[in-house]
Amino acid sequence: MKMNLRKIAMGLGLCIALVACSKEEETIVVPVTVSTLTVNDLAADTVTGLGTDGRPQSAGTTTYYSLVDNKVISSTDAATTKWDIAFSSTKILVNSGTSGPGLGGAFVFKGLFDDLKTIPADSSFAIDNSTAASYAIPLGSGRAWYTYDGLTTLVSPIAGRILVIKTANGKYAKIEILNYYKGGVTLASTASVNDKLFKQRYYTFRYAYQPNGSKVF
Amino acid sequence: MYSKFELCGSMSKKPLLFLFFIIPQCLWGQAKFVKDTLFANSDSVVVTATRTERKLNNLTVPVTIINAKTIQQNGSLRLTDILKEQTGINLTSGFGAGIQLQGLNPDYTIILINGEPLVGRTAGVLDLNRIALGNIKKIEIVKGPSSSLYGSEAMAGVINIITDASMGAPLTMGLRYGTYNTVDANLETKLQTSNFQYQGFINSYNTDGYSIRPNSNSRVTTPIDRSSTTQQIKWDLSSKTNFVLNTRFTNEQIQNEIAVANNGITIYSIGKENIKDVNASATLNHRFSKALKTSLRTYTTTYDAVQNLLTINGLPYRDVLNHNFKRVENQTDWNLNKNIQAVFGLGGVWEGVKSSRYDSEKIRKQNDIQYAFTQWEWKPSEQFTLIGGLRFDQNKQFASAYSPKISMLYKLNPQHQFRFSVGQGFKAPDFRQLFLDFTNAAAGSYSVFGSAQAQQVIAKLEALGQIGNLFPNYYLLKALKPEYSNGIHFTWDWKINTRSALSLQLFRNDIKNLIETQQVGTYISGAQIYSYLNIGRAFTTGFELEGQHTINSNWSLSGGYQYLRTGDKDQIADIKSGTVYTKNSQGYSRIMKLNEYVGLPNTSKHKLQVKVNYNSPKGYYLNVRAIYRSKWAVNNNNGNEVFDNGDAFASGYVAINSAAGKSFKNGVSLQAGIDNISNYIDAANLPNLPGRTFYTSIKYQLQKNNNK
Repeated sequence: MKMNLRKIAMGLGLCIALVACSKEEETIVVPVTVSTLTVNDLAADTVTGLGTDGRPQSAGTTTYYSLVDNKVISSTDAATTKWDIAFSSTKILVNSGTSGPGLGGAFVFKGLFDDLKTIPADSSFAIDNSTAASYAIPLGSGRAWYTYDGLTTLVSPIAGRILVIKTANGKYAKIEILNYYKGGVTLASTASVNDKLFKQRYYTFRYAYQPNGSKVF
Repeated sequence: MYSKFELCGSMSKKPLLFLFFIIPQCLWGQAKFVKDTLFANSDSVVVTATRTERKLNNLTVPVTIINAKTIQQNGSLRLTDILKEQTGINLTSGFGAGIQLQGLNPDYTIILINGEPLVGRTAGVLDLNRIALGNIKKIEIVKGPSSSLYGSEAMAGVINIITDASMGAPLTMGLRYGTYNTVDANLETKLQTSNFQYQGFINSYNTDGYSIRPNSNSRVTTPIDRSSTTQQIKWDLSSKTNFVLNTRFTNEQIQNEIAVANNGITIYSIGKENIKDVNASATLNHRFSKALKTSLRTYTTTYDAVQNLLTINGLPYRDVLNHNFKRVENQTDWNLNKNIQAVFGLGGVWEGVKSSRYDSEKIRKQNDIQYAFTQWEWKPSEQFTLIGGLRFDQNKQFASAYSPKISMLYKLNPQHQFRFSVGQGFKAPDFRQLFLDFTNAAAGSYSVFGSAQAQQVIAKLEALGQIGNLFPNYYLLKALKPEYSNGIHFTWDWKINTRSALSLQLFRNDIKNLIETQQVGTYISGAQIYSYLNIGRAFTTGFELEGQHTINSNWSLSGGYQYLRTGDKDQIADIKSGTVYTKNSQGYSRIMKLNEYVGLPNTSKHKLQVKVNYNSPKGYYLNVRAIYRSKWAVNNNNGNEVFDNGDAFASGYVAINSAAGKSFKNGVSLQAGIDNISNYIDAANLPNLPGRTFYTSIKYQLQKNNNK
């Protein structure tokens, strides 16, 4: 798995310089130094074959991820607060409720990644409740982050959907799912059945994590 | 399309041509040759546009006529075959083959046989493959809202299939064989005396179906056996009174053994479908005087479809739909004076549906409609005609509807005619939108409840503790209103000379109260609950250009082009407000621009068809027809709920069809044809278009002395 570190904001020094130049003393803005990271091809319960019922078969695994440390967490640590978000096919968990012991939570924001500069104060973060099949990031096509097309059997991330995450340690992050297929490119509707089967369940996403506990990115 | 040879100058003086197809016998009424639109002269009589017999060039609204000869020479067997070659019409697939007229879905075109509506729509689509064309005299297509005469469904237009016992040969037999073991056999008998005419027609159509889908052993079109018989009796009780009886029975058996193979694993299922369709109408016409006549029409029809699907590893699936429609109607035509003619109508409809998708398939859901209409025609001069009409439909199950229409004709001179019409059409909520009670156990256990009982059903579920959330839409649920369309049509007909004609039509339809499926809540499990609300607003607009040119006595050219723009007005407003997103190639979302919006799905910006036609005096004919349709959006890939450049499109394509034949003086005629010569296949988006197919047919018409 390849991690890309990309700074989207201007260089730190330049930010500070701009703030320093500001004459408006009553509104001194804390410089925003949150960087956006992109995670490529994160495997999430990839397909092992086709079942007799015509559905994809897989081992049923979950991939746990730490947004704080930007790395995969072993599934043996599933019951700890080491991870913030977890993926299993199209299901996304946060470290909360029935999923884990953390302070996590999430909600779906409609808008652009860059436009979400501050999490609205009245936002409520839902938690996972697997017994009621109710998750902070709702399951199903057309609900939280993706649509599934039964005709082409392809999963496409919904444009303008940001997953706002409360991490296991109670801090905030925002995520945009970019792609669900290996290599970060959604397959053509005419792609082979094999490609559709085995290239799915590879998440590419970008995220920003605010370590200072504020809701400002 | 417009292969009107009989009209054209010298050709019409060659009677041999006519022997083959229609033997004119003016026994009763005004049986005449039927010409296609552009070549038609003032003799062509149209009934659909005004519900009275009107000469084509006196009509105030745009009408297309397709005659029996065109249908026969094109090798068209089913209604879909000929409609897909018409300007402004595209075929749709899914729930059978329907048609999209000027960008409006199949729900919005009413299909009539001899003036009486066909029922039995699945998801709004009437499968036009149900209708055999072997015995018809002509098809009339009226474009634009026509609810002022026909009530619900006549929003985009009206297609009327007309048979006539009063003309034609006493015995006609036809047999056709084609690719995929497709056999079509026709037998038609006619009996004509001075006051009695009978037409009986039997059609049998069988096909093995075809397989064009990869990874599948199964067929896209499955083995089908269709049989259909129609009978028509016209009986002149006196010189002033006549009686017409029409019956039609169709029976369709579809057997589908589906075997889908994926990576060596094959899943089998067996589907069986049986559809019975019965129509009967009886009409009594009486003329009191030259100025006053009346007709009493009674009609009953039943559509009965049963579908059983057995899958090896799934639950058996059974679907039942039984639709019953009865109508009694009186229409009176009164010529007040030389310049003013009036039509008055009054009727009642009793309609009911039983379906396994409602709460009980035993209980018939019922709707009663009473309606009245009137139409006034004012013709102050030969050059100018003005028609105004109004209809009122009162419904038991949903809100009532008024349908006004005004149309006019101005004949500048023999070369130029202008038509203008503006009208309102409506489509009543259908039974599914009112009464559906459907839970999809296979796909996430979501439910759809018809609006008439959604609140009741959901309240019950809530009492049982099964409801998770109720959405704001739930509280907006109320009695559905009909969907409305306001249509404006402007037509300019230009007869350039005796050999060439052009017609330009501008159209716009604005639709409101569109009934759309909306999520109204969730179950505790998170599964969605849907119902129907009047929320959508949309438009279709564009132009149609049709032309016809006779090169010489043998060759002619005709063609039509449609430019179409469509859109969902609410989505356009959202795009303008910057709240609709799309993704770039990296997957980053960005705000969508209006110029990326492509309009409604399944609509193509361009459609063009061209026909080259050859007819010789010796009875030979040949035609080549090319049909082009530009790309259309089929699926929303980027999840933004609007259709834009980032979505999935079906590619534009060209289909070329050709037929040739010869008719002999002894009544025998032969035909051979190839459809889809270039073998264009798109299994996912064009399941109704098989690859290249061939056919050959023989027909015999018993000759009769034509000396009456």
